[in-house]
Amino acid sequence: MRLLLTLFLVLAPALAQSVEGILDRVEKNLTEPWQAVVRGTFQGPSGPEELEARVYAIPKEDLFRIEYLKPASLEGNFTVITAKEVWNYLYLTNQVIISPRERAQVQGLGFSPQTFGDPRALAKEVSLRLVGEERLPEGVAWKLVGQAKGNQGFAQLELYVLKADPRPVRFLFRDEGGKVLADLKVVAFRRANLTPAALKRYPKDAQVVRR
Amino acid sequence: MRRWIWLFFLGLGALAQGRLEAGAYFQGGLFPTLEAGFALEEGEVYLRLQPGRGGLGYLGGVALGPLGYLGYGLQGEVGEGGLGGAVFLEGGAGPLALEGRLSYRPQAAFPLFPEEGLWGRLALRYRLAPKEVAGLLLEGGRAEATYALREGATYTLGLGVAGPPYLVLGFKGEVGEGGEALDLALRLGGVNRLEGGLYLGEASLLFILSHPWAGSLTLWLGDLGLEAGFRNSPYAWVRYAWRWP
Repeated sequence: MRLLLTLFLVLAPALAQSVEGILDRVEKNLTEPWQAVVRGTFQGPSGPEELEARVYAIPKEDLFRIEYLKPASLEGNFTVITAKEVWNYLYLTNQVIISPRERAQVQGLGFSPQTFGDPRALAKEVSLRLVGEERLPEGVAWKLVGQAKGNQGFAQLELYVLKADPRPVRFLFRDEGGKVLADLKVVAFRRANLTPAALKRYPKDAQVVRR
Repeated sequence: MRRWIWLFFLGLGALAQGRLEAGAYFQGGLFPTLEAGFALEEGEVYLRLQPGRGGLGYLGGVALGPLGYLGYGLQGEVGEGGLGGAVFLEGGAGPLALEGRLSYRPQAAFPLFPEEGLWGRLALRYRLAPKEVAGLLLEGGRAEATYALREGATYTLGLGVAGPPYLVLGFKGEVGEGGEALDLALRLGGVNRLEGGLYLGEASLLFILSHPWAGSLTLWLGDLGLEAGFRNSPYAWVRYAWRWP
């Protein structure tokens, strides 16, 4: 029993540091611009829906762009996340809704699109811990789980980070009861030549609404 | 009196976020126009003033992230002819977009209060498929149904009724690498009107030409707006907008 306690006391800080270490590795691995596709399902207002989105990131500029391809009602919409603001472009009404980053809410999705590109920001909102490793089709991945610290639209998160190429490959969001709100995989990841202007681009005739 | 004016402007400056649009309107005679908006924790309070009529309103909104946005507002007016007011709701959520406006004022007061009497507008648009949108518009005695297809650019075809029927043709597309856009809409028959807009970012050019003859040409250069046109008689309107912070 004492041995178990000793092991726990020794391992617990080590595991806690590992989360920090893993996030450090992700951060260092993703310093250059990259793009990927996020694909999966999420719990929409009327039941489970397919989600597919292209994600573009310039981490050094703290700049991300998420272009929605599915569901059909979101096609043409996109979200731009800057260091201070979140812009949501809505195709149907041709509007750009600009909110301060701390006030940007994503009701209805059950998760926050910021998550895909910025696990470090995610870690501020979720108390993550390392629970082990799992073999995924992409390779061996660290499995991190955690509880949301505030009202994030979800209660629990499972995050899988690829060991060989440290980057998130799967996000599993759950509610308080453990029901899956969104199960999203990151595919078609590649480093890319991206510019801030391209990520911030929106139609010049769009109505800009600042909140 | 002068002291009150300075206090008013000092008061404006004390508000953290807002906008002020001051203008000069000429149609027979010259008079000033003023529109000011002050951001609150949620929404905005705004003021519209021109000689003979003034309005005070509130604009609010509900943001749904990438799913949509709903804006709403109400406006109360005092001035020549009597009281007036307006309510409106506009925005979209998922595949549906709507715009509803209802206003009443005893007489029109150009340029800030253009509609006269009881006036309503209801526009609904529904996304049938990712690149197809069906629309229905009811406004002041006319009805219009449209179908829009996005294949690179967006092409719109529709039919309206305003007493006699009319045809609607529309084109909207990007004309540059940076999101510059051209938007054209032609109505022919019971309504005869050509509307267009060229949006280049810092500069925008907008025009309306209709028969019986009326029209306008507006150029926005950053925060400076220059408008000239013919509405019963020639008119011109120069505006400048300040936004802070």
